[in-house]
Amino acid sequence: MSDPLSKAATASEIARAVMSGKVKASAVIDAALRRIAAAEPAVNAFTDIVADRSRKRAAEIDAGRHLGPLMGVPFAVKNLFDIEGLATRAGSKINVDGPRASRDGALVRKLEAAGAILVGGLNMGEYAYDFTGENAHYGPSRNPHDPTRMTGGSSGGSGAAVAAGEVPLALGSDTNGSIRVPASLCGLFGLKPTYGRLSRAGSFPFVDAFDHLGPLARSTEDLALSFDAMQGWDPDDPVCTDRDIESTVPTLHEGIGGLRIAVAGDYFAKGGEPECFEAVATVAKALGASKTVVLPHAAAARSAAYVITAIEGAQLHLPRLRTRPQDFDSDTRERFMAGALLPGSWYVKAQRFRRQYRAEVLKLFNEVDIILAPATPCSAPRLGQVMMSIGGVELPVRANLGLFTQPISFIGLPVVAVPVRKSGALPIGVQVIARPYSEAAALRVAAYLEKQGTCVSEPA
Amino acid sequence: MADDKPDIARWVDEGAKAIGLPIAPEYREKVIVNVERSLAIAGPLLALELDDELTPLPVYRP
Repeated sequence: MSDPLSKAATASEIARAVMSGKVKASAVIDAALRRIAAAEPAVNAFTDIVADRSRKRAAEIDAGRHLGPLMGVPFAVKNLFDIEGLATRAGSKINVDGPRASRDGALVRKLEAAGAILVGGLNMGEYAYDFTGENAHYGPSRNPHDPTRMTGGSSGGSGAAVAAGEVPLALGSDTNGSIRVPASLCGLFGLKPTYGRLSRAGSFPFVDAFDHLGPLARSTEDLALSFDAMQGWDPDDPVCTDRDIESTVPTLHEGIGGLRIAVAGDYFAKGGEPECFEAVATVAKALGASKTVVLPHAAAARSAAYVITAIEGAQLHLPRLRTRPQDFDSDTRERFMAGALLPGSWYVKAQRFRRQYRAEVLKLFNEVDIILAPATPCSAPRLGQVMMSIGGVELPVRANLGLFTQPISFIGLPVVAVPVRKSGALPIGVQVIARPYSEAAALRVAAYLEKQGTCVSEPA
Repeated sequence: MADDKPDIARWVDEGAKAIGLPIAPEYREKVIVNVERSLAIAGPLLALELDDELTPLPVYRP
């Protein structure tokens, strides 16, 4: 049990301490704000800090209001989530000129209803079209485990803030890997839920077909607690499911009995550095998983995810590309422009193929319950690094950090990214992938790995 | 079959005109590089043959 005022404290430890009266929410928030002030020069995770709001909220909790399972837990959100009174930057300079948000995003409201306390907005790659965590307007978020290296993106500030111990819990978004990539490079647990499971209302979109929101934390219990608090139908997001809430906390520590676990072969067993396959092997061994399954057409799935992303993202930003091209980050501008020029026939083919691939992959879940795959092809690249060597082939960093995450989010499967760290090495993540709406199973596996000591996340 | 390769610079110039997207000279080279890259990444998708019956899902559910 960590000191609830320390950077090592998890959300659940803090909530228990506040609930039991051992510590005041105000003291927790003051400690978090001090840690943020101390760590920011090194990690650059935050773009907005709402200190007054968080202190006011903490005082209300200490006065006996806002009871809930996340009582007194400081959290922060990628700055594409609406925060009342602030412009929703979405990593851009352009949006700062837009309207201030009239209310918080849906998931911010749900976490606060559970007693958590928002402390600020987090840095991100511009308009979420990013796997690096770099940003020309606000500077790169820096990896707390080595500030000369990338956090991964696009939820880079979310990765940095939790890995630095500034806050125990952050929200990110994941369209092609933007929660799982920073979780991998920053050594965190990250949950990308099933597509449509959590409301996206009050967040700035990127690619509606694949946009997901979810939490990053240093413990599986924190993922489960926050996920459960955020579930529920929301008429303000047309994609949000009307299925009943399926709580994951009650089954979190049930172990892996009855779960058939396999490793993804073929596409997911090549095209990465040795460390990513070693991490998968370490996790597979801890789980006793010896079977291999092949996700058919995974390379085409990655292509199709790329095409849909490029075209939908470009279409969303076309008016701004016409009128304010000079105000875009130079690392997104020309990619968006290129996306606007790709043929519509590619988009429709990618959508048609998605139906086929979904059916093919769902069939695999007749044989297995959980599939393991690397989260990133390598551990954190250096900041500013443009090309990387993967298996002896030079490839662009930006397009390829999401090689292994894209074919999974393409069909909306739930994934928990779990961290593996060899002594003296940087962390790297493994994807624990489940069938649609089976977040509980993926979280059970992650909790088992955490309990065994195979996957542990500690602040830098 | 070098003649079958598309002229990407022309694709960018004419496509941008067709959709009314001005591309300043200082951005043009990078746009061309990114269209080339997109063509390469799209390869595995474009190489597939799909059944005529395979339509997109009108409402996508995972």
